[in-house]
Amino acid sequence: MAEITLTNIVKNYGKLEVVHGINLDIAHNEFVVLVGPSGCGKSTTLRMIAGLEDITGGTVSIGDVVVNDLPPRKRNISMVFQNYALYPHMSVRENLGFGLKIAKQDEATIIKRVDEAADILGLDELMDRTPAELSGGQRQRVAMGRAIVRHPEAFLFDEPLSNLDAKLRVQMRTEIKKLHQKVKTTVVYVTHDQVEAMTLADRIVVMKDGYIEQVGTPMDVFNNPVNTFVASFIGSPPMNLLPATIKGKNIVFADDKSLPVPVRLTGLVRDGQEVVFGLRPDDLTPVGHGIAESGDGAKVTLDIVLSELLGTETILYTSIAGQEAQGKMFGPRIVAPGETLEFDVAMDKAHLFDAATGKSVRVE
Amino acid sequence: MATKRVPFWQREKYTPYLLLLPAFLILMFVVLLPLLFSLYTSFTGYRLIRPESLYDWVGLRNYRRIFTDGDFWSAFGRTILFLTIALNLEFLLGLGIALLINKITWGQRTLRTIMMFPMMFSPILVGYQFKFVFNDNIGILNNALYALGLSDGAIAWLVDKYLAMFAIIFAEVWMSTSVFAILLLAGLFAMPRDPLEAAKVDGCNSWQVFRHITLPFLMPFVFIAMTIRSLDVARAYDIVDVMTGGGPAGRTELLWTMIARTGYDNARMGQANAMAYVSILLSIAFTYYFFTKLLAARKYMGGAE
Amino acid sequence: MEGSIRKRVGAVATWLLTFILMIIICVPGLWVILTAFRPNGEVLAKPPVWIPENPGLGNFAKIFGFGGDQIAIPVSAYFANSLIIALTSTVIALLIGMSGGYAFARYRFKFKNGLFLGLMLSRTVPGIALSLPVFMIWSRIGLIDAKMGLIIVYVAMNVPFTIWLIDGFFRQIPKEMSEAAQVDGCTRWQAFWKIEFPLAKSGIASAGIFAFLTSWNEYALASNLTRSTDSKTLPVGLMDFTAQFTIDWAGMSAMAVIIIVPALILTFLVQKHLIAGLTFGGVKG
Repeated sequence: MAEITLTNIVKNYGKLEVVHGINLDIAHNEFVVLVGPSGCGKSTTLRMIAGLEDITGGTVSIGDVVVNDLPPRKRNISMVFQNYALYPHMSVRENLGFGLKIAKQDEATIIKRVDEAADILGLDELMDRTPAELSGGQRQRVAMGRAIVRHPEAFLFDEPLSNLDAKLRVQMRTEIKKLHQKVKTTVVYVTHDQVEAMTLADRIVVMKDGYIEQVGTPMDVFNNPVNTFVASFIGSPPMNLLPATIKGKNIVFADDKSLPVPVRLTGLVRDGQEVVFGLRPDDLTPVGHGIAESGDGAKVTLDIVLSELLGTETILYTSIAGQEAQGKMFGPRIVAPGETLEFDVAMDKAHLFDAATGKSVRVE
Repeated sequence: MATKRVPFWQREKYTPYLLLLPAFLILMFVVLLPLLFSLYTSFTGYRLIRPESLYDWVGLRNYRRIFTDGDFWSAFGRTILFLTIALNLEFLLGLGIALLINKITWGQRTLRTIMMFPMMFSPILVGYQFKFVFNDNIGILNNALYALGLSDGAIAWLVDKYLAMFAIIFAEVWMSTSVFAILLLAGLFAMPRDPLEAAKVDGCNSWQVFRHITLPFLMPFVFIAMTIRSLDVARAYDIVDVMTGGGPAGRTELLWTMIARTGYDNARMGQANAMAYVSILLSIAFTYYFFTKLLAARKYMGGAE
Repeated sequence: MEGSIRKRVGAVATWLLTFILMIIICVPGLWVILTAFRPNGEVLAKPPVWIPENPGLGNFAKIFGFGGDQIAIPVSAYFANSLIIALTSTVIALLIGMSGGYAFARYRFKFKNGLFLGLMLSRTVPGIALSLPVFMIWSRIGLIDAKMGLIIVYVAMNVPFTIWLIDGFFRQIPKEMSEAAQVDGCTRWQAFWKIEFPLAKSGIASAGIFAFLTSWNEYALASNLTRSTDSKTLPVGLMDFTAQFTIDWAGMSAMAVIIIVPALILTFLVQKHLIAGLTFGGVKG
């Protein structure tokens, strides 16, 4: 019984409102990731769920209980902090057992549950060390161990991987995923890294400036971004966003070149509408070097400004109507700057956003 | 789902005030209240031997009297002079010592510890110690000078007008230079290496590096030291009281010894309180000045980080 | 080659300066200590006696009243007074300082900077200036020549600085520690005592030592608020000697040693944390 429900959550710091009435239902055992640029209110939201920040307005319930006025210790949650917040004056074993000791569990239970957690996270060798004697990854593991020993109703993660180096981050990301599969619990995870969000989440909540922009499964958010912000935030390299105007059945760019309006979007745009044309680099590929079959396709010829070889794929920098755009090329071929290539444009994957509101034409 | 309202004293908003309450209560009782009382007293002709004179309102007479009193002004001027010389010397010596110790690698910790000792000495002991050192008859200084053939007789260190001032300033500087040395040393330790190296690569010589990189970085530490020092400049009272008692013939009288003499020895509390107020304002001015400097420097440091 | 010569000259100069510095710092104190172990006659001797000829503990026996050759100054009573007053005021100042320091380190509230400044300014009032009204009030409520009278004053004197130091030490402990403990099931009170206090312990201890020394060394107020063996402290007692017709340098030095020694030991213990506390508290804001 650990659904988490946020109803019209508002947070003020003095006169400044930083979270503007958020609504979110998190299902039992669901892994939800709050993602957004720094200052978007994601950490504040998490801390309000934890009870570390006062809730200015609205309600937070965990299970069936409204927890607004409950202190953190009565919410039956556990949390992993960005800097781990391990207790430096305690050994790993004491760190893990601290919560149980405070809850006045008997010695045998504490030992059993601590060992169990240590086992899950592979901490057995480290039990008598202090946090100062651990590497970053090990500290991270201890912090997670401390969270799971108490069998809480929900785990809260506040940017837990941002202090690790790139390689370790990928490794720990998998471990968190595995952990969630082993220890089935509701998870609310905050990060600014969209890759983490995509790989970990059952559902992603994209936030910006204290508002939720979009909630959905990773695939949903990736394939159907509701606005230009989500479109540019999710996916790497980011989606190309190019201003254009609808003229009849065509999308006309500033240089008068045009592409046909995708079939699935034809009914959704009106003649003369100012739009933003969105296309992921994956969907702009030199002929013969793409992965997508361009059923509903078009072709364009573009000059290459710069290419970045990444191994199996190459990022191509080009420009469309004076705007920088990126394409992708799969397969081994060196592209020199100045080369001109013909590209497939996967129009069935293209997006159109209203230029004025930034919203996808599909949601209007 | 009705939740119980938390009683107000458990609410987050009031906690800090509650935590600070004991501190403010005691300061109210021991500092603020007495100061208000002494402000009142400074407008009366209160003398200890005549308790009823506490209600004898004389307006600004005490202030008029001290402001027209030549002795007061010379004590005041001497105090300012004393502070200016002492603080500047302490800063310069402290900076020099910090740079010196920073250079030394072997035995640095020991040196640092020894450096701290004078700071912890009771001012009364510092005074006694230097009263002993500067004693004209049996003092180690005169004995040493005589033994080395540098003087042929007793130099009256604590009697001569200038030498006595020198002796007092020496004692004060001896006691308090370490505040500067210790804090500036801490500053030097905390100093990032990159800007130093960047400056060297950019072609600065050692003086330029010091002048344009090291010194600006140390300024907040200088201001901390100055602030801490200005909190207790009046400790000099203890030193002077032991060494010369303000004498001989008022030649080393500072504001603080004058207050003590007027208030306790002459029992003119009203007038002493008026002087005390001048000394309080002086201290507050010093502290406030350095504190705002510190805040400004801190802001600027924050930008550099 | 030239560079290495210059370096060597520099090194010699550094050592020479350090040596002179250490002499200036150490010799006056050492001379007092030396004097404490020799008879007064030797101090007054002409020509001066540099190396003690009859070193001994005579002066200490004398001032503590052992043996036949006693002096009229009740040093043991002063010592006890100093100890009681300094210890009690330190403990109280620490409790108040911890509470206040925690408030400044962990909470945001209105008038925070103003309150902090006010606190600091209260410390700037010169002891002698403060002593006048305190003397007048204390004599009305019977706190003159009472240990309690001095204890209260010293608590007030130490609170601002203690708060400043302890604020700095708490700031060094990430806020998340306490938050983690609260999520782990602690009340804020438990989180403080089980996590933050143990981590700040050594810092708090050095703030305590600093407060102790301030009280132990204080003279301006003590000399005016005390009268008799009931409450006179060591620094005040030291001045008893000067009231006599000829100064007993040896006895005075022995008493000075008694005041110095605890200060030296405590300084030694406190040095590291004190520097850290002052700089953190001040620079990092």
